Amino acid sequence: MLNLILKDVTVLTAICGGFALLLVIAQKLFSNYGDFKIDINGKRELTVKGGNSLLNSLGDQQIFIPSACGGRGSCGACKCKITEGGGPLLPTEKPLLSKAELADNIRLACQVKLKSDIRIQIPESIFNIRKFKATIAEIVDYTYDTKGITFQLLEPDTISFKAGQYMQLETKPYPGMKQKVVRAYSISSGPKDEHKLQLIIRLVPEGICTTWVHKHLQLNEEVFLTGPYGDFFLRDTEADIIFVAGGSGKAPIKSILEDMEVKGIPRKATYFFGARTTKDLYLTEYMQHFEQSLADFSYVPVLSHSAPEENWQGKTGFVMPYFKDAIRDPKNTEAYLCGSPGMINAVTKSLIEHGIPADKIYFDSFG
Amino acid sequence: MKETPLELKISRRMQAGVLTLSGFLGDDPRHFHEIIAEDEQTLAQLGKTPEEIAQRMQYFTDLSFDSFEEEISVDDIYRVETDVVRGKLPCPFSHPGGYRKAVTVLTNTNLGITIRWSSLNLHMIQAHHFFEGKGSPFRLEPELLVKVLF
Repeated sequence: MLNLILKDVTVLTAICGGFALLLVIAQKLFSNYGDFKIDINGKRELTVKGGNSLLNSLGDQQIFIPSACGGRGSCGACKCKITEGGGPLLPTEKPLLSKAELADNIRLACQVKLKSDIRIQIPESIFNIRKFKATIAEIVDYTYDTKGITFQLLEPDTISFKAGQYMQLETKPYPGMKQKVVRAYSISSGPKDEHKLQLIIRLVPEGICTTWVHKHLQLNEEVFLTGPYGDFFLRDTEADIIFVAGGSGKAPIKSILEDMEVKGIPRKATYFFGARTTKDLYLTEYMQHFEQSLADFSYVPVLSHSAPEENWQGKTGFVMPYFKDAIRDPKNTEAYLCGSPGMINAVTKSLIEHGIPADKIYFDSFG
Repeated sequence: MKETPLELKISRRMQAGVLTLSGFLGDDPRHFHEIIAEDEQTLAQLGKTPEEIAQRMQYFTDLSFDSFEEEISVDDIYRVETDVVRGKLPCPFSHPGGYRKAVTVLTNTNLGITIRWSSLNLHMIQAHHFFEGKGSPFRLEPELLVKVLF
């Protein structure tokens, strides 16, 4: 009886093993798309294995197109122009592309599967984007919900970026969170120290990455970042400058100010920082030191909800009513804004009413 | 209950630690279809539809969205504020696109009750009639919404 059972089990195992082997062979035979060529900007040609997404294939070749959702087709950040190949547009892409982008053959790199040779166009700045291994060199509590995290770069150990750009930070699994996610944060340090960079990260309720940073990230821990990304940076002109930010929107402005200090840029600049109460103010003394080190700079924190017991002596309400005192020639003034879409809309409207040309208003919007 | 591949995918995306830290089901043992059906029934008894609820929520979110991160007063009854952080969240029902990480906080001063909802809450109520499972951090009780919003 036992022999019979053993025999049946052996036969069943052999049949299952056979099927498994057949599946592996079939997968090798039928899902092997072969090698294909990716032509980038007509200048560079890569040979990659077919069947993968364009985003991942480029990433494997150390070309990092921005992606905030890790290739799930939900953020719409990995847009690139495809001039040949790429297959038909997928229903997952259409809601994330405008009519003009659709007409211009813009696609989401995470949704394009490589099944033929392909020609793409991407900004040259993307070639400067790298994946960095780094350790946590410093964690500073700026407010009750905002931390400054300094990363010591290990591999590669240097970075070149423009003040105002951002990085993407990759989380690690932690209790209650099995998978990695990637999130974007502005660099808050200046580009002078090419071995280190700092990000300012505010805790978001239910936020996967910010919870990891605030509750689990440890000093000396190894992490991965990619970047630099973005086109929010100080334009090389002599125009006066108005900066406006709130909350963690301070990060790119801090980076730009540190860069202006290092380069000795003498432009007149006024920085309006909007916050609710004194509890939301941070780096105030550091910002005020730029009033000494820069040629013509003013830092103007404005509180909207200061309580009498806070004894706040500074400006109150919205930041917009204070713009008129900072603008001497609107046609020769640039504005740099970082914050929520509501803040960007309200401030942009006000700046245009003050005569600042719309094409001189640059912003890094959270939304 | 046997699930289709799409339902399996939706159920998986609703679990804690997939799209959000705590997921969308909380400690509710019911299937998401059951949650939706029971909430629809509750609303029907109250004479409202999920679309009407979503439309009202959208009204408050839109009013507060352009207010420079400030609390606004609506109809002398409501205090509303919308806070936006960087990034977008995908819909667990695999609806294409991303939804702003924006949270609207509304207080009905007549009742002294405060509720909050995210852009994704609003979308899931409008498009999927899903108010999330009980115990989920962003669960919205239909009875409470009807009481506070109208």
